Order: sequence, then structure tokens, then C-alpha cells
Amino acid sequence: MTIRILLVDDHPIVRQGLKTLLEGHSDWEVIGEASDGAEAVEKAKDLSPDVMVLDVTMPRMNGLEACRVLRQECPALEILFVTQHDSPQMMREALEAGARGYVVKSNAARDLLAAVDAVSQHRVFTALKGSNVAELR
Amino acid sequence: MKLRILLADDHEIVRRGLRALLEKHEGWEVCGEASDGREAVEKALQLNPDVVIVDIGMPNLNGLDTTRQLLQHDPHFKVIVLTITDSDQVIREALDAGARGFVLKSDAARDLVSAVEALQNKRMFFTPRVNDLVLAGFLEKGQTVSRNEAPKLPTLTAREREITQLLAEGNSSKEVASLLNLSTKTVETHRSNIMRKLSFHSIRDLVVYAIKNNLIQIELPPPPPKTPTGPGPTAA
Repeated sequence: MTIRILLVDDHPIVRQGLKTLLEGHSDWEVIGEASDGAEAVEKAKDLSPDVMVLDVTMPRMNGLEACRVLRQECPALEILFVTQHDSPQMMREALEAGARGYVVKSNAARDLLAAVDAVSQHRVFTALKGSNVAELR
Repeated sequence: MKLRILLADDHEIVRRGLRALLEKHEGWEVCGEASDGREAVEKALQLNPDVVIVDIGMPNLNGLDTTRQLLQHDPHFKVIVLTITDSDQVIREALDAGARGFVLKSDAARDLVSAVEALQNKRMFFTPRVNDLVLAGFLEKGQTVSRNEAPKLPTLTAREREITQLLAEGNSSKEVASLLNLSTKTVETHRSNIMRKLSFHSIRDLVVYAIKNNLIQIELPPPPPKTPTGPGPTAA
């Protein structure tokens, strides 16, 4: 079954990089993009993606706020943060906000595919920069 | 013959995005990638690209010092600086360093192709804000640009700036020595000179200096969500 993904980051060039990486996987489809949290919420409601790849720091509505809203509005959606913040505290906040995964942007090329695979199967996936990958069922 | 481009950014995901964008353009090829400034200098010397695109906030050697080093090796290198901010200070430093293009990362998808085309045609490319600043400085013969500057700190040499960045990134003198192929003693001498020149007494001062002078960049966490605080503003 195809995994339908929505990409959310305020930098188009980062979205382009994430897209080229994800589209290398034959069963995954990037069905849309958004450049801030508010647009992410709107598009998630319109498109019903399976997985959202979400940045933390964005204009209008940041990723944490969007995640909290989405937990209420789209309970089936799995959210994976891909962020600059290599911080256990931020990771904890993201998981508390309802995310299923957390990957650091500088390691996205290494961790993203495994993370999307895990969260699409409703498993927790977290990886900070200097730490081992943690995947929980 | 194809225009050959070298990409330097510490985020592979950004390099992928840039590569995808640039390779859509017929006649251009990305001939190499680097994940920090030092690697960018090495690869540029090996590959001799027509254009080098450097991110400003890279570890080990930031984009501005990378630009300076590249042009010191060969003034014919054409460098585009990618940045997350177009503050007056960053613009001025990029121009001083010799960059021929200046593109905001957030606008890269829109501006980068135009910037490379400009350099290909022996022109420069700057954002409207850079043009305004340059024009203002030109019209007022430098008065506008320098009027509000803080008193200048003593100038560090290129090597001292490089060592300052590495120390501020948390490396010990021994680690810096190993990264730069110098003896620990030489690094410690540089370190003492830096602290003396800047009248600093702690590594904390050096870190603050490195942040303020764009040698390193930090990302702040997003502000906490706004919580309702009662019925609204009240008159005093």
C-alpha cells in the first residue's frame, strides 16, 4: 500500500531535498507540501496524508503548535519531526505534543527513510545527532 | 561545455535540494559537494569549479572564511553565499569577503538559478536588501553604513578567526591542533593572542564573540505558544 506523505518546512529548498530522498522509495508518495504550521493543518484536513514530515521552527504557527492541533483534528495522522534542534528537551516536547518520530535535520539523509517506515507502522522512532537510533513498538 | 558547480552546506538534505534545483538547468552540473568550509576549499582546489555555492553557517570553517580562503588561493573563484539572514553586518562581511552573489536560503528556490546565471554572465547577484545597502553606502560615501557601528574590535587574522570558530564550537586546543595540522603549542599561542587582542578572559566571552560576529550560528527554540491571560488589556 502506498504511504502518502505531506512535507512541511518553511524552506522550499529543504522540502525539495526531503522530496528527492522520499521519492526514491517506490511505495511512498509526496502528496503535498506546506510552508508553515497553519498551512500544514489545512492541507492535512484536505488531503488526509498517512505521515506528515514536520519542521519545528516556522512562521505563523510553529511545528509543535501544529502538532497539538493535528492530534485533535486528524487523530489517524502520524507525525515525524525533522528539525535543526538536536536537543533531548525539544524531542520530549515533540513527543508530548503527539509526534511519533523525531529526526535531526543534519542526519535526515541517514535517518529519514527508517523513520518514515517506522512511524507509518505506528512505531516510535527517535534519533538525536550523537545518539543511537531508538525505535520502539 | 557544462558550467560546473561545487555545493557546500553541512546539511545533506539541503545539498540534495540544491542539486535537484540546479541540475534541472540544462548545461549545468554539480561537480562536487562539501559538508564544511575546509572540505569546500580542498574540493574547490581539486575540481576547479566555475561557481562555488557556500552556506554561511558551516562547522569547522564558516562560509565567509571559506570565501576568503578560496579567493586568497585564486581570485578567479566565483562564490555565492547562502545565508539565513540578510542583516547589514552579514551583508557587509559577505561583500568584504569577496562574494559575488548573496542569496537568502529561504529564497534559494526562487533566486539561486538567477544568481548562478548572473555569475555565468560575469555579473553579480544580490538580494534587493543588499542592493539598497550598497546604494545607501555609495550615495552617502560610507556614512550610512558606518554611522551606527559599535566601536571596532581589533581585527583577527584569518588563522585566528578559524581558531576562534573551532574553539567556540567546543573543541579543545589539542583538537583544534589536530584539525588544522598544527602543534598544540602553536594553537595555544594563537589562543592567547586572540584572548589578549579581544581583552577576553574566558571561553564564554569567545563564544559570545563568535555568535555576534557570525563565526558560528545558533538556532533558538520556537517561542512558547501564547496562552490566554484573562479578559484582555485593561486601562491603567
